[in-house]
Amino acid sequence: MATLEELQVEAAAEIEAAKPLFKQVNNERLEFSDADYAQAVTDLANSKWNDQQFGYIQARQEAYGSVQDQLDMMYWDKVNGTDLWKEHIDTVKADNPKPA
Amino acid sequence: MAGQLIQVATSTVTSAVASVTLTGIDSDDVYMVAMNNVVPSNDTQLVQVRVTESGTPNSTSNYDYAFKQMKGNTTFSNGSSTNQSAWFIFSYTGTGANESTNGLMYLYNFNNASEYSFVTVEESTRTNAGNLQGNQGGGVFTSTSSCDGINLSFQTGNIASGTFTLYGLKK
Repeated sequence: MATLEELQVEAAAEIEAAKPLFKQVNNERLEFSDADYAQAVTDLANSKWNDQQFGYIQARQEAYGSVQDQLDMMYWDKVNGTDLWKEHIDTVKADNPKPA
Repeated sequence: MAGQLIQVATSTVTSAVASVTLTGIDSDDVYMVAMNNVVPSNDTQLVQVRVTESGTPNSTSNYDYAFKQMKGNTTFSNGSSTNQSAWFIFSYTGTGANESTNGLMYLYNFNNASEYSFVTVEESTRTNAGNLQGNQGGGVFTSTSSCDGINLSFQTGNIASGTFTLYGLKK
């Protein structure tokens, strides 16, 4: 698990490699200023941090499926004496682990 | 004609850029930003929005927001946060066929240096998973400063294409 400082170093290297970057101000294309590059490093590092720390939340939400579908799985588990809903949830959690 | 929208600034991205800035807010009227077919260069990105002061994006931790995420394929959900460095009110989109973000933002109190600046957002996105998502919500920039425009970017990578237009209301 990377620290925020480590991710900032990683982000700085990626932005350096991506230069030159451009912005479009009222339809005029300009190269980034030093301040723009510094902000891009901060934004990229924060994005990496959020993905690392909290990305599992959205990934699990997408993978769980709708409440209706889950209720349907529970119903048929009751009818058939199976455990498919719990196995589905276990798989989603295992595939998208919460950071330690 | 009373109530007519007038174009203040526009940017059409046809060659990738990291950000788009629209400026020209110089009155206490309500302004509107229209975003059309906004596509990222990298997959799984969402538009981040900042106010500009004298043309410079403000990235201080003064952005609060809350929104409803209406999803075509699954249960609706909510999103919210406080003290962020930008508004993250839009849906994740991607680089797959027909994936893009489209939306409107209304801008309130931007020019007024003694009030917080507010936005409302309504958008329709084909997400990076190929699903339909529409967000509806609002945000506030908790600083009493005069803002002259809006800055839009993705957290990672470039804006590959899109059209961004700032409108004012002609009196």
